[in-house]
Amino acid sequence: MTPRTRATLIRVLPALLLMCLAVAGPWLAPHAIDAPVTAPYGEPGADAALGGDQLGRDVLTRLLAGGRDLVLSSLLVAGLVTGSAAVLGATGALRPRVGRLVERVADVLMLLPSVLGILLVALSWPDGGRLAVITAAVLLGVPYAVRLAAGAAAPVAASGYVEAAAAGGERLWHLVLREVLPNLRATLLALFGLRFVAAVYLVATAGFLQVGPQPPAADWALMIRENSSGILLNPWAVVAPSIAIGLLALSVNLAAAALAPQTGRKAVTVL
Amino acid sequence: MSHVPDRYRKDDDNSTSDGTATLPAEAVVKVSGLTVAAPDGRVVLQDAELALHPGRVVALTGPSGSGKTTLLRALTGLLPPGTRRTAGRVEVLGHDVFALPERELRALRRERLAYVGQDPGSGLNPRMRVHSLLRELADDRTPKAIRTLLAEVRLPDDGALAARRPAALSGGQQRRVALARALARRPKVLLLDEPTAGLHPELRDEIGELLRHLAAEHRLAVALSCHDPGLVERIADEVVELGRYGGVAHTGTSIGGTAATRTTGEPPERQTPAAAIEAVLDIRDLRVTFGRRSDAPALNGVALAVAPGSATGIVGASGSGKTTLVRAVVGLQPVTAGTISLDGVPLSTGLRGRSREQRRRVQLVTQNPLGALNPSRTVGATVGRPMRLHRRCGAGDVAARVVELLEQVGLPPEFADRYPHELSGGQRQRVAIARALAADPDVLICDEVTSALDSASAEAIMDLLVRLREERGTALVLISHDLPLIADRTDTVTVLDGGRTVESGPTATVFTAPGHSATRALLRTPAGTA
Repeated sequence: MTPRTRATLIRVLPALLLMCLAVAGPWLAPHAIDAPVTAPYGEPGADAALGGDQLGRDVLTRLLAGGRDLVLSSLLVAGLVTGSAAVLGATGALRPRVGRLVERVADVLMLLPSVLGILLVALSWPDGGRLAVITAAVLLGVPYAVRLAAGAAAPVAASGYVEAAAAGGERLWHLVLREVLPNLRATLLALFGLRFVAAVYLVATAGFLQVGPQPPAADWALMIRENSSGILLNPWAVVAPSIAIGLLALSVNLAAAALAPQTGRKAVTVL
Repeated sequence: MSHVPDRYRKDDDNSTSDGTATLPAEAVVKVSGLTVAAPDGRVVLQDAELALHPGRVVALTGPSGSGKTTLLRALTGLLPPGTRRTAGRVEVLGHDVFALPERELRALRRERLAYVGQDPGSGLNPRMRVHSLLRELADDRTPKAIRTLLAEVRLPDDGALAARRPAALSGGQQRRVALARALARRPKVLLLDEPTAGLHPELRDEIGELLRHLAAEHRLAVALSCHDPGLVERIADEVVELGRYGGVAHTGTSIGGTAATRTTGEPPERQTPAAAIEAVLDIRDLRVTFGRRSDAPALNGVALAVAPGSATGIVGASGSGKTTLVRAVVGLQPVTAGTISLDGVPLSTGLRGRSREQRRRVQLVTQNPLGALNPSRTVGATVGRPMRLHRRCGAGDVAARVVELLEQVGLPPEFADRYPHELSGGQRQRVAIARALAADPDVLICDEVTSALDSASAEAIMDLLVRLREERGTALVLISHDLPLIADRTDTVTVLDGGRTVESGPTATVFTAPGHSATRALLRTPAGTA
């Protein structure tokens, strides 16, 4: 293993650990998520390491159990948004007519406030639950991401090697997937990190608005909302899920930056 | 010998007074024992020694990949990404550039050291007009000073050019704007990487003269890497030859500006293939306009016929539309009017209307080797792709065929695993040629492919192309400023001037009895042999 691979691994590790923890959390939880173990807003003790929440349920249990859905749906949203924006943006850069159409549609969609959008989708699709939230987050995220991806793809689409490939008889999908997008890795990874944070924000907002996960389900965003009234009695009930969300956003962005290609294979050369 | 008038603005202070000219000057740049290694431990440059003195021109020569660019960049303290200095010292104007704090190094690069890269066009901000590009660096920002700078690099002083953006300039014009930018600060040390590649001989000589003149008049220390032995002999006071593995093979002193003229060469006795054979590629009345400027078309009524297995040359001054013509032929440049037919079948003027087979049959190797390769794919993947795409050989044979092609263009087989940023300009050009050959084309168009190569490799590449033509019947279209090369290797030649075909016919006839003033101007042999 070269030193650089090791350095990359070290920076990717926090995100991986946190995600594994969030995914495996429900199985590690010491108590049932809906069984009271201490007094409401009980202080941390032997039974409950982080104290109790508004109904005396174990905060640690709910913290461990409440991350999986948030992490998975945010990852899914960020992946879908970045992926579709990258393909749409690169296609738009290679085919100006498609590009103009995509950008005008994006302009219109951007006018819709995200909270309103989520409410619209969730209310018109009451049984959708998580799926409705994910759909809304993807629809609302793509317009922003596609503008960025198209801007980044434009100089690459005009470069000599893309022209050579096009003149050599390559089809559009090859130009998009093999010639343009690999050279946008750094931009797309940064975009993924950004969209992940935005997705956590949107999914958490949906939870806060009680669209999506409903009590008594454990969910970090729901925990913050439910327990905010007792923050002075047992601060951990609010602080712990907040820290978890913050760490998640930080570590994913750190990993995205570490995975971006080093100088030299970047699309733009210096001098 | 034509007299070159002094158009370089005098320094305001009197530093160039004649008294200093005779003093033996201290070296302004000293490189000792410089060794630079790539990340994988490969030595890019070994024990390089170099000294630059004010008023002297030093030329770096050597085969491609010998570390000329690396050495020039080391003088700016900015090595190519990934490489690092393992030994040695670079001293510029008394400062060790590798020990200098970032801030002072920047000041040094800003005020004293000018570097013009191999592909200077890509260093020009595409959104800025020529006059702003010059004004942002110049000490003296008056329009008159800008005009003087443009005149200095022999760009037309009609005001129209200064208002253009880099995309509307030809390759040669971009190069001259970049040079003007470098001169705008009146640096002490001028570093040029292949300053004359892709320029026509007359301009090449003018730039050469200009560099000599700047060095002598303003006590500039000039270092340039160059593939053209004739030019090196004419302008360099000293020649540093870099060896195959980046070591300094030989340092010699050239006579400098006295001898060595190159003639256009006696056109060989060659029977041109009968023009009666139906042309594989036939272009008629091609007209191309950029943007809305329909009054000034880049190409106007150009015609060109390429017979199967023939070699056709396209020549013309820089900016005459040679590159635009071949880009239109391969479908990269939208066409306003005219027809392009392949084997009598009219081709769609855009890329999208052409079938894959039609695209395969006409291949273009572009002028700029730096942008022509995908930075995130290995050489092997790049060269192998056309074979897979066009099913030119079985899937199992691709790797072997890639190695074979690389060897044909003079690259060792292990280059298949390298990425473009690990290659020098000349090596990238060869990869681009190998990629075009991989598609097994019927017409191969080469736009200044040898301008980035040393003369030995250029010769080898041309021999390869000629051999292919004989073995496979591939028709060649060569664009070059190198008139002896065109005279040697082509059957017919087309002369472009200002977007029009002014003359075409058998090369021997055109070159011995030019019928148009533009042709005669091109043929005027460099520096006084006319």
